[in-house]
Amino acid sequence: MLEAYGSALVYLFSNPSSFLLIIFSVVWGIAFGSVPGLTGIVGVALLIPFTFVFDPTAGLLLLSGVYVGSTFGGSISAILFNTPGSPEAACTALDGYPMAKKGQAGKALGIALASSAIGGIFGTIVLMLLAPPMAQFALNFGPPEYFALAVLGITAISAIGGGSVLKGLVAGLLGLGIATVGLDPITGTERYTFGNLSLLTGISFVPAIIGTFALAEVLQRAGEKTSTADVITDVSTKLPSMKEFLATRITLIRSSTIGAVIGALPGVGATTAAFISYSEAVRWSKRPQDFGTGVAEGIAAPESANNSAVGGSMIPLLALGIPGSATTAVMLGGLTIHGIIPGPLLMETNTQLVYTVFIGMFIANILMLIFGIRMARYFALILKAPYALVGPAIVVLCMTGVYALNSNIVDVGVMLAMGAFGFLLRKLQYPIASFVIGLVLGPIAERSLRQGLVIADYNYWEFAARPITAILLLGSLASLIYGFYGQWKRYRQVSQAAVQS
Amino acid sequence: MLSLKTTTAAFVAASVLAAPAAVAQDYPTRTVEVIHSYGPGGGTDRFVRAVAVPFEEIAGQSMVPISIQGGGGMPAFANFQQRRVDGYTLMAISPDQIIAHVLGRIDMAAFQPLARVQYDQGMIVVPADSPFQTIQEFIDHARENPGDLTVGITGAAGFDDTVMGLWNIETGAEVTTVPFGSSEMVSNTLGGQVDAMHEEYGPARGLIESGDMRPLVVFSDERLPVLPDVPTALELGYDVTLGRWRAFAMPADADPEQVETLFGLISEAVASDSYQEVQEQAALQFRSVLLGPDEFQEFIDNEIAVYTQVLTALGLTD
Repeated sequence: MLEAYGSALVYLFSNPSSFLLIIFSVVWGIAFGSVPGLTGIVGVALLIPFTFVFDPTAGLLLLSGVYVGSTFGGSISAILFNTPGSPEAACTALDGYPMAKKGQAGKALGIALASSAIGGIFGTIVLMLLAPPMAQFALNFGPPEYFALAVLGITAISAIGGGSVLKGLVAGLLGLGIATVGLDPITGTERYTFGNLSLLTGISFVPAIIGTFALAEVLQRAGEKTSTADVITDVSTKLPSMKEFLATRITLIRSSTIGAVIGALPGVGATTAAFISYSEAVRWSKRPQDFGTGVAEGIAAPESANNSAVGGSMIPLLALGIPGSATTAVMLGGLTIHGIIPGPLLMETNTQLVYTVFIGMFIANILMLIFGIRMARYFALILKAPYALVGPAIVVLCMTGVYALNSNIVDVGVMLAMGAFGFLLRKLQYPIASFVIGLVLGPIAERSLRQGLVIADYNYWEFAARPITAILLLGSLASLIYGFYGQWKRYRQVSQAAVQS
Repeated sequence: MLSLKTTTAAFVAASVLAAPAAVAQDYPTRTVEVIHSYGPGGGTDRFVRAVAVPFEEIAGQSMVPISIQGGGGMPAFANFQQRRVDGYTLMAISPDQIIAHVLGRIDMAAFQPLARVQYDQGMIVVPADSPFQTIQEFIDHARENPGDLTVGITGAAGFDDTVMGLWNIETGAEVTTVPFGSSEMVSNTLGGQVDAMHEEYGPARGLIESGDMRPLVVFSDERLPVLPDVPTALELGYDVTLGRWRAFAMPADADPEQVETLFGLISEAVASDSYQEVQEQAALQFRSVLLGPDEFQEFIDNEIAVYTQVLTALGLTD
């Protein structure tokens, strides 16, 4: 292995241009990630034709750098405008935007950036050291395990939203319900499409979150009478102190681990990793009711997880030739064009390529930190502009972005409808976080439950009695019971206090 | 069936004879756009781009793929139909359009078939530790225990389901299909969650070469030269040769002269070294015979008949 790293280093230093490529790709990735409608997938797909002029190693360096940069980039617009630039960053908006609204945009961006870099480096190290065993471990995850994982994330809904458990559950169910629109994942039957063929593949995720987050926010702020009072006058571009950042270290370790494992599972990627680690951050927090109001853990958890998932999703790609995410699927296509056959033999026959990419991803994460820190301060300044200018600009950006994503006008309609719906949820004080978790994890839970039942011939016991499934499901159950017990205890204290007074 | 060379030669000759040089110059005079319903960087997107590179050199005009995703391909089809019929809008079509037609969602009569370029072949593949060494053992087990064997496929009620549905009808050895996303399908098969999967040779070859997976049967007219020991379903007496294909179509009322000119350009592009190289790297060269407008129309009619039979048997249509 040392020899392989040696030859990779020789490659990098004998091709100094590859460092330029990495810098370019990270900046390109951040740009694509931060603009709604231009996701990392598009960024990678657009660069594939350009990789023809390079050798395969340089080509893959370029693509993986974009992947690293774009996964962080999405958080910039999520934090500043409540507009997730890419689906992976949707979760970051939940606490990032409230923190920016408090005038701490610089701090929010700084936490997002540092967490991204730490998560990214963690994921890359896991990729470097553990790719083959992790890939084998991931193969133990069949549909029942995917189902249990999604359930674990969904049960955190009861803990989110601070106020009412009932409202949290209703919002979560609405998310699960909306996720069922479209073709049935097993039989292919149309569900809730009302004869409208454009709804065949369901409510697209990106238009839905951009509507519920960004558009709903603009609507709400437009509805508030005093416009001057609401301008964020005190925009601090101050970055978080080391102490503030280190306070999130437990969250960082937990979320990076979750990110790397979920990233390595084919079919689920950075978005799922971000939401599940957010759920876990809420579950393990001493102050779960504060989430959603702009807490540091609420940014650190999804950002470290989604960047760690980047390294994670390269594991099945390089170790087995199975792409772990949509972006790596596009990268796989790029590799094939270069005449490289992805598969278990790749790591043996193309050692120089594989190890150069490992080192390249490591460097990309460090570069992201260096460039991002400076950029974060300038980005934060945008908030100093009056909202009367920023608000309409966000709406235009959302509409063009959502259209640009799939060139599908129906998506713009979905975005507008979801904007109105999100506005309603906020007015009635239903937690958006629960709604979005239902929307993200619902389809995974449904699909894997039904796949698993088909495989187990509808034997529920056979489905649940698998070690990983059983542990995850029991954990979810325990967490639910504990959550309700806590609620009940608080309720009793309150009612006793009322009786005594 | 005509070979690639003769078809190409015939059409180049025909276009030279029928159309004076002037026609070749006044069409195409701008970019030709190819609408498709798949993601950027996916198989169809790469297919269009691979043809586009030599096309640009030959025609002097570029060809660009336009990806309109989602909605089960309906928004892409609607966009294709809304555009002016001026010879500059094509659509990249595949068995998915045939299925949408059979299910009554679109009408294949809206297309003027232009050129079928790629024709892939699927296989039943088992993981290395599977008890089944040959397809006969697999069939025998399925006959004795109908529905017991699970086969991973991509997408519900789509192309893979149709192939396996036809397999069930032809062999009477019924297997249960489990729809996955394409990467989950591979990991679930490798991990032994399902007994086998249906996959094309190209994407599976890495795992076959490393010995992690074993193909049992190939759905093609002839054995693949790279897998000489794997029988075809046809030689076992089961008429299952359905494969995924990728093709270009124009609107139904396209100008016949433009159809002819464009097919000439596309057949030249497909014959070019640069396209052939891409095709070989994707392992699509085995039976990708280029079909011109008329042959392609016949092919489509035949596909519709087969898909209707299978989808009706699966209870997906009446």
